[in-house]
Amino acid sequence: MTTAPLEVQEPEVDDVTVTDKPWIVVVWNDPVNLMSYVVFVFQKLFGYSREKATRLMLEVHHDGKSVVSDGPREKCEGDVARLHAHGLWATMEHPS
Amino acid sequence: MFFELVGPGTIRVTFDEIEVELLRQIPAELQAIYQGSDPDPARDRLFPSPYLDPTEEEAEEQWNALVVPELLRERLEGLDAVLGTLDDAEVVRTVSDQEQTEVTLGPEALNLWLGVLNDARLTLGSRLEITDDTNHREQWELSPDDPDTPARAAYLWLTTLQELLVETMLETLPDTPPD
Repeated sequence: MTTAPLEVQEPEVDDVTVTDKPWIVVVWNDPVNLMSYVVFVFQKLFGYSREKATRLMLEVHHDGKSVVSDGPREKCEGDVARLHAHGLWATMEHPS
Repeated sequence: MFFELVGPGTIRVTFDEIEVELLRQIPAELQAIYQGSDPDPARDRLFPSPYLDPTEEEAEEQWNALVVPELLRERLEGLDAVLGTLDDAEVVRTVSDQEQTEVTLGPEALNLWLGVLNDARLTLGSRLEITDDTNHREQWELSPDDPDTPARAAYLWLTTLQELLVETMLETLPDTPPD
């Protein structure tokens, strides 16, 4: 007996995957903001350890930018707003 | 200016008269920049666009309508807080009859002061066109003939004060976050 391969109905996940893909928040290098202040802001806003906050700050300093948080659009908007309130130059984007 | 740590996240700073004068000028100057209507790179730096993607025009309009007014309100509160601290500060006279102003800043005040000092430095940095190549402070020559000298001196002094206040706040944050 042979059975024809079953036509498996793939769940249509494409749309979900696209909308669920996280946004990212990028902090850009700036010649004025103090390194210690940037570490302080990352710790204060995101609860990161001193080590992680320092690593992100150095990334901003050396590479010109760093991704500091991600998540749904609304969450990222909140993060960008807090970063702007603290004088950091932050943008958000949706990686395609 | 001298200082004394008086507790966790709490510092007592004593300012000379000329330093208080500088601090008192900042709120009015920042308010004029926050609320100015002419194109101004300093204001663009303080209220940057959240999106690089030009197709996010609609989101950007919403941001300008909803978020920017809230950020402005918070910034104005910071200015009031700094003026309030200075108004409430104790003025003492030194043996040489100099007036000094003594302020005690706890965590809440420090957070507000840091925001204002940072905005003041960003604004001066924009006016002085400070870049990564020109921010090496030790190379700055503060010549009396240079019209930028007062702004540069203010920038340097504010940097020293901000560094001090940041260090005080960093002491209150754990090296590793509690789980």
